[in-house]
Amino acid sequence: MATDVNLKEIQRKVYMSFFQDGLWDIFLGLCVVEWGLGMFTDLAYLSGVFFIGTYFAVFGIKRWLTYPRIGYVRFSATRVREIKGRFFILLTVTALLGVGVSVLWGIGPRPQWLVHYFPLMLNGMAAALVCFGAYWVRVNRFYLHAALIFLGAVFHLWLGIRWGFGFIGAGGIIVLIGLALLVSFLRKYPRMAEETHGEDRR
Amino acid sequence: MRTGGNDERVQEPVAKIDRLIHEPSRYTLMAYLYVVEVADFLFLLRQTGMTWGNLSAHLGKLEAAGYLVIEKEFLGKKPHTTVRLSDEGRNAFEEYRGNMRRALDSLPSK
Repeated sequence: MATDVNLKEIQRKVYMSFFQDGLWDIFLGLCVVEWGLGMFTDLAYLSGVFFIGTYFAVFGIKRWLTYPRIGYVRFSATRVREIKGRFFILLTVTALLGVGVSVLWGIGPRPQWLVHYFPLMLNGMAAALVCFGAYWVRVNRFYLHAALIFLGAVFHLWLGIRWGFGFIGAGGIIVLIGLALLVSFLRKYPRMAEETHGEDRR
Repeated sequence: MRTGGNDERVQEPVAKIDRLIHEPSRYTLMAYLYVVEVADFLFLLRQTGMTWGNLSAHLGKLEAAGYLVIEKEFLGKKPHTTVRLSDEGRNAFEEYRGNMRRALDSLPSK
C-alpha cells in the first residue's frame, strides 16, 4: 500500500535526521582513537570516563548546533522504548564481550594462536558491535566504520604496524568522515534567523 | 443494476476520503506528525520543504479542524512552536488510510 510505504519512508527520514550531522560518527571515531591512545599509555581505564563524557557532550552539542538548524522532534513513547531497548542490548553485549575477553586473556597459559590472533578477535568483536549498531539504527555508513576498525587489526597483523596505530588510524578516518558530514550539514542547514522561529510571521 | 452496484462499491470509500487530509501538503504534514509524538515548526519546515507561509496556512487549517494541537512557548527569549496530532487527528488519519486502501483495492487489476 502506497501510504504505508510512504509512512515507513517518512519514519526513516525523520529517524535519519538524527544522524545527518555526523556527530555520532565523530563520537565513535573519538572513542576508537582514544582506545588506540590508551594502548600507548597506562590510562586505558579512562576509556569509560571518556566514553560517558563524550556521549553526553554529543547531546549538548546537538542541542546547541543541530536543533536550531533542523528543528526538534520527539518520537512516540513506544519508539523511544524500542530505541532504548536496542541500545541497552548493545551495551550489555559489549560489557559481556569485554568481561569474556578479559577472562580469556587473564587465564594462563595463553595458547599461541590466541596471542597471535587476539587483535583480530578484539577488533572483530568491536567491528561486529558497530555492525549491530549500524543494522539497528539503519545507517549504512556505520558498516564502513566497522570495516575500518577491523582493518586496523588486519594492518597490525600483516603490515606490522603497532596495534594502537591501527585504532588511531581507523578512528581518525571515522572522525574525518564525521567532520565532513558535519561541514556538509552546517552548509546545507544554516541557522534560521531568530524571528523565523516564532509565530510572528503567521 | 450490476454496473451501478460496482460503481457504488468503488465510490463509497472514495466519498468517505477526508478532503482536508487528501491535499498533498496536508497529507505530508499529517504523515510526519503521525510517526512522531511532537515536532517543532522548524522541523516540519525543513522536512517538508514548504515555505513558511504555506506551512503556517496548512497547519492553521488542520488546527481549525481539531486535528492538531499547536503549543507556543518561549525558550529563553525565543518563541518556540510545537505541533502534535490530537487524538481526533490521529483517528482521522487512520480512517483516511483505511478509506484510501479500500478505494484503491476496489479498483480492478490491469
